[in-house]
Amino acid sequence: MDLAFLGETLLRLASAIPTTLELAFVSVSIGLALALLLALLRASSVIGAACVRAYVFVFRGSPLLVQIFLIYYGLGQFDAVRESFLWPFLRRPWWCAILALALNTAAYGSEIIRGGLAAVPAGSIEAGRVAGMSRFTLYRRIVLPLALRQALPAYGSEIIIMVKSTSLASIITITELTGTARQIVSDSFRAIEVFVCAGLIYLAINFVLTRAVLLLERTLTPHARGVPR
Amino acid sequence: MTDVVTLRDLHKSFGPLKVLDGISLTARAGETIAIIGASGSGKSTMLRCIPLLEVPERGDITIGDETIRMNTARGGRAPADSAQVNRLRGQLGFVFQSFNLWAHMTVLENVIEAPVHVHKRPRNEVVDEAMALLEKVGLAEKCEAYPAHLSGGQQQRAAIARALAMRPKALLFDEPTSALDPELVGEVLGVIKGLAEEGRTMLIVTHEMGFAAEVASRAIFLHAGRIEEEGSPRQIFAEPTSDRTRQFIRRYLERA
Ligand SMILES: Nc1ncnc2c1ncn2[C@@H]1O[C@H](COP(=O)(O)OP(=O)(O)O)[C@@H](O)[C@H]1O
Ligand SMILES: [Mg+2]
Repeated sequence: MDLAFLGETLLRLASAIPTTLELAFVSVSIGLALALLLALLRASSVIGAACVRAYVFVFRGSPLLVQIFLIYYGLGQFDAVRESFLWPFLRRPWWCAILALALNTAAYGSEIIRGGLAAVPAGSIEAGRVAGMSRFTLYRRIVLPLALRQALPAYGSEIIIMVKSTSLASIITITELTGTARQIVSDSFRAIEVFVCAGLIYLAINFVLTRAVLLLERTLTPHARGVPR
Repeated sequence: MTDVVTLRDLHKSFGPLKVLDGISLTARAGETIAIIGASGSGKSTMLRCIPLLEVPERGDITIGDETIRMNTARGGRAPADSAQVNRLRGQLGFVFQSFNLWAHMTVLENVIEAPVHVHKRPRNEVVDEAMALLEKVGLAEKCEAYPAHLSGGQQQRAAIARALAMRPKALLFDEPTSALDPELVGEVLGVIKGLAEEGRTMLIVTHEMGFAAEVASRAIFLHAGRIEEEGSPRQIFAEPTSDRTRQFIRRYLERA
């Protein structure tokens, strides 16, 4: 084993961790906001529900890689896009990756939140209504807190999937973790060591994330833990 | 005496099923009204019409001196002004059969929720009042507990404290002890009895006839969506004039 090479590789890969984390964090944040809107839209009206179902079908039913390609190579084909205020963003690979990742996770996220909304007890909603809560207060204080707590474990898995999905951004020239690994491989021709190192780093990130989500679950849902009476 | 809740000629159907068939009733300040009747006779529906959890197709509901304004639109009858409905709901306290506490909040948070976020009262003032209410229902030491960690009787007493925190003009109870294990019924009835003695205005749907006879100032027997008989609990339980009431009471006594 060439420890010097491994050390050097890990160091170079580590310098790409911020890019990977940034991609994941920004796309999950935008995706969560979008997922919330989609889930609420889905619950709001028949037309809203149909639109959201179509959206989810498209983004869940097609490969993320294809979505990234379409956004990166496809959007520039339209004059309207090139002339719009969004073009300074959309011509950059980074924002194309963010857009694809966010739209994709929003589809999955909206389904997770929908499940959470469906699990809110009717009696809790009724208790809020009968106390005189407006619709807005009811959602802010009762429905969403209960739904999001319910959705948290599944959303944790989705975040981990997103961390792994950021590796696809390497295809459109972004040198995040996987992209950097590929560069090192093309310089050194030592694929196994390099990708094992990259894999270990993903594992480490996701180990920390899993713990963090568990901790969040524990603090947000003390009522769900078995405490003796 | 002032009228606190007035129902005028309420009619309500679920599809083809007529559930309320002309209910008129006035609860005056300080009255405790027991509402009895067979299962399916419309007791819950009547009680739920008061805060408009059910919208009657016909009839008026007045809380204090304010009548809920209604519109008859395309899709049926609906409240004309949801802000008015919310405001009037905020003047009532409703206690459900199944407690319906908010699971993500402690007992204390449940109690202060509506005063703080609906009535917009200052939090520390509300907390003091809430602690006094929890003391009253015997739950002060459980104020930091979550509903899931309480017995049914404790949950229902917390729900009563939550209703009292509304500073309600009237308290509405829908079978408050029906979901409880028999040994827990007494603690909840004890709390409600205390409220009656304080002179609260209350409407209580119940199957606890002994309790109703003891605390109610008036009893109402519902049958098929109508008030079949109305009078003092003594009169209703001991000398009912209607055959249906007599039958109902007799069947209850046989079971007990
Ligand atoms: N939301 C509803 N939809 C359809 N039917 C209902 C609904 N609520 C109550 N009912 C029916 O109305 C009738 C009266 O119900 P309810 O007022 O709950 O009676 P009670 O409380 O006296 O047992 C019952 O037959 C019940 O099945
Ligand atoms: Mg009922």
